[in-house]
Amino acid sequence: MLKRKKNKREGMDPHIRSLMKIVGEKEILYKPEDLLSYDCDGFTVHKAMPKAVVFPENTEEVSAIVRYCHMNNLPFLARGAGTGLSGGAIPLNNEVIISMVKMKKMLHVDLENRQAVVQPGFVNLKLTHSISDKGYYYAPDPSSQYVCTIGGNVAENAGGAHCLKYGVTTNHILGLEVVLPDGEVIELGEAGVPDRPGYDLMGLLTGSEGTLGIVTTITVRILKSPQGKQTVLAYFDQVEDGSRAVSDIISAGIVPAALEMMDKTAIEGVEAGTYPVGHPPDIEALLLIEVDGILAGLEEQVEHILEVCRKRNVREVKVASSEEERGRWWANRKTGFGAMGAISPDYLVQDGVIPRSRLPEVLQNIYDISRTSGLRIANIFHAGDGNLHPLILFDSRVPGETEKALKAGTECLKACADVGGSITGEHGVGIEKKEEMRFIFTEEELEAQMRIREVFNPYDLLNKGKLFPTPSRCMDVKKIVKETVAVK
Amino acid sequence: METKHNVSIEDRFGNRGTEVYKPVTEKEISDFLKKANEEGKSVSIEGGGTKRGYGGQGEAYDWTLSLADWKGVVEHQAGDMTVTVRAGTTIAELQTFLEDYDQKVSIDPCWPDDSTIGGVISANESGPKRMNYGSARDLVIGLRVVYPDGEVIRTGAKVVKNVAGYDMNKLFIGAMGTLGVISEITMKLRPKPKYESLVLLSVEEEEVDTLRSLAVSIQDAMIEPVCLELMNPQLSKYLTGREAYTLLVGFEDVEKAVKDQEGWMEYHKPASAQMDVKQEEDAREFWKAFSKRAPNALDQSDGETKVVLKTGSKPMEAFSIIKEAEKIQHEVSVQVESHGGLGHGISQLVVSGSEEGIVSFVDQLRKYAAKQKGYVILKHLPTELRKSIDPWGNYTSGLFLMEKIKKAVDPDHTLNHQRFIGGI
Ligand SMILES: Cc1cc2nc3c(=O)[nH]c(=O)nc-3n(C[C@H](O)[C@H](O)[C@H](O)COP(=O)(O)OP(=O)(O)OC[C@H]3O[C@@H](n4cnc5c(N)ncnc54)[C@H](O)[C@@H]3O)c2cc1C
Repeated sequence: MLKRKKNKREGMDPHIRSLMKIVGEKEILYKPEDLLSYDCDGFTVHKAMPKAVVFPENTEEVSAIVRYCHMNNLPFLARGAGTGLSGGAIPLNNEVIISMVKMKKMLHVDLENRQAVVQPGFVNLKLTHSISDKGYYYAPDPSSQYVCTIGGNVAENAGGAHCLKYGVTTNHILGLEVVLPDGEVIELGEAGVPDRPGYDLMGLLTGSEGTLGIVTTITVRILKSPQGKQTVLAYFDQVEDGSRAVSDIISAGIVPAALEMMDKTAIEGVEAGTYPVGHPPDIEALLLIEVDGILAGLEEQVEHILEVCRKRNVREVKVASSEEERGRWWANRKTGFGAMGAISPDYLVQDGVIPRSRLPEVLQNIYDISRTSGLRIANIFHAGDGNLHPLILFDSRVPGETEKALKAGTECLKACADVGGSITGEHGVGIEKKEEMRFIFTEEELEAQMRIREVFNPYDLLNKGKLFPTPSRCMDVKKIVKETVAVK
Repeated sequence: METKHNVSIEDRFGNRGTEVYKPVTEKEISDFLKKANEEGKSVSIEGGGTKRGYGGQGEAYDWTLSLADWKGVVEHQAGDMTVTVRAGTTIAELQTFLEDYDQKVSIDPCWPDDSTIGGVISANESGPKRMNYGSARDLVIGLRVVYPDGEVIRTGAKVVKNVAGYDMNKLFIGAMGTLGVISEITMKLRPKPKYESLVLLSVEEEEVDTLRSLAVSIQDAMIEPVCLELMNPQLSKYLTGREAYTLLVGFEDVEKAVKDQEGWMEYHKPASAQMDVKQEEDAREFWKAFSKRAPNALDQSDGETKVVLKTGSKPMEAFSIIKEAEKIQHEVSVQVESHGGLGHGISQLVVSGSEEGIVSFVDQLRKYAAKQKGYVILKHLPTELRKSIDPWGNYTSGLFLMEKIKKAVDPDHTLNHQRFIGGI
């Protein structure tokens, strides 16, 4: 028996054999047919095959895998649920993928101190579900929350509809255990204690798209659910009225928990999707606005919002009459991206951010881009934050249309960058927006960031080729000069 | 640029250079740093000067870069709820400017009249209301930083949500000026609350645990205080005239919601507690006095040594830290005025007395805090004392990475050399 087993492994890549020793025979995939579903994440335009996928169960195993890769010069990267929209988990360099999905335990809940400790593979929505009976919840709520992992959220600094009032992932992370690219384990923000002296490595790690280290334990802040919520749905005949209402609400001193917008094409999509709510087909834009907090104060805020909408010529505006109705409106919104599948074979999600007051003009630019490219663009986005999600609808079977879609996406980002905005508000740069980084950063600024990567990840084995544009000549020259100086 | 030569650096708090430069443009900052870097000069950075007693083993630097004249609002779009200001603007100047738009920067650090926003961000300072509004690191969305070689680097952007590249803002917030000179800061704003009030609940020493239970139930209830700060009897005596443990519970919302929550407090307060409510202007006046109570480096008067401690712990552990400090102060004969944030875990203690007393107070409190996985650092103490007490304590995970970052950004140790943890 023993002998035959040995034979079976003969001819097997020795690295696979070694990795198998760390995680066990069942916790590794290496046959090409098993690896197929790991050739991309939610950004499906690019594909590449990993060397293997391993499924560690604890920090020690992650550290041992990483150490092995480090010693043997094998590229590697971490993967959560693979819902990332910028290609962060795509194995561009035949990486060993370290899947975090088996590390999915909740380790500790401390209601008195309002914190919870979870493993990185723990699914976002599960956290809220596990504490909701006691009246608590975890605030960052990406639309993918029913599948995406908290580890992936940390890596992308994920946002969501309710981040307008409550902040994004980085504002809710209290502590991280991290495996560095050489296998060493460090703890940041131990015990979730705030403001530990020293540089804010935790803040740097959050949003670093898995290029600085692999997060193996996360301490998050949890919140008490608000006493009351009121949700308003407003229909507009003009996009411009809708977007001006957004600014008016914000300027009126109201801090909505969420302030979302959809335009006509987006509405067509969600109404054809799994959770239609019967939005009129002929409106140009809708706003979904939620206020929450002390019940006694909500009515006044809702009144104020209704008044603002009326001043902006709203066609119809209503307040959710039940939790059930509110739930339907949100399901309709949160499944919005996927719903585009009902009206288009493919879609590309973009993720620009602009100062809120520039909303009307930038939306207009996006419509112009749609017209000149000949592709429909649906807008479904976090208006209150100025975080746009133009969804570019295309058909990859039509030759040249994928390229056209990518180009239109880039143009949308340029339109955001041109008004002083950013090329990504929550989905990350990954491989998708690497080159667009130049829209907002100078060569020196990019280099300042790369110097930080070098500190953590000097051999660039961890998630190589992401985040930064391919070096330009200017930088190469600089590097050579530096090296010559160093030799001198 | 105003320049002063041969400045006397004899003072109690150190962190000064013999030449003081006060740039009035960013270019001047950049040129200054280039020159310092080329000539191998060590530079100490200063804003309002309140924090000169904060960190630093080296007493003297060659040059001081004072940002006190580099001030003013650069950009403010009320509808965007963001503001961009120069580093030397004081907190009070900034808040006064925003007042006209019914907006504010929601941080409430000490000495708003003297502290500059650059200094507050560099030290990651905050106050009791961080419980609800977050700390400095939650509010900064963009920076212009002048690197030690004079290069100007922008981090983040003027938008409230942004994940393009690394979150480089975080590198400079709380870095105590050891990586670059923050020139401009862009922050998120909040609307000024429509109404505010402050509930004060005082109990005798033997009843103090009832305040702990109350704090736990407040947090477990669906009310939304902006702070839950426990003052020890000495601080309470100074600020309220009542020598009793006092819990500060603030509310900021529309008036109806504030009143509703005051009602909750009235109903749930411990039987033995004395409750006062300060409304609107009275509440604001209270916070003003509160923010000015601790000493800072602008106060050069001799007399009794006073030091300021900051402790970090799990939120509710702040309660036991405040209590433990009471015990230790009697054992080592020092006087302590303290407050601890039961909703965020940061406490501040002003300790006065003999130097030996202070040294052993810090030592004992550090041991206690370490047991709870907390820490104690010293935000303000004379140079002399910094030789016997390391302001930063001796342990932090990831220190080797911090050293490498310093080396990558400021290889010649031009900026605030040895001001920070581990001699960075
Ligand atoms: C339909 C849909 C809706 C979405 N809506 C939103 C939204 O509203 N807001 C939003 O912010 N995002 C949204 N996203 C994007 C995506 O869900 C988030 O970026 C999410 O945080 C990714 O989590 P994941 O577990 O899928 O990570 P993955 O996609 O597996 O990985 C993402 C990146 O994180 C790295 N990584 C994963 N785990 C770790 C770890 N433990 N340590 C270090 N690095 C790690 C990977 O290497 C990769 O670079 C949406 C995606 C989809 C498909």
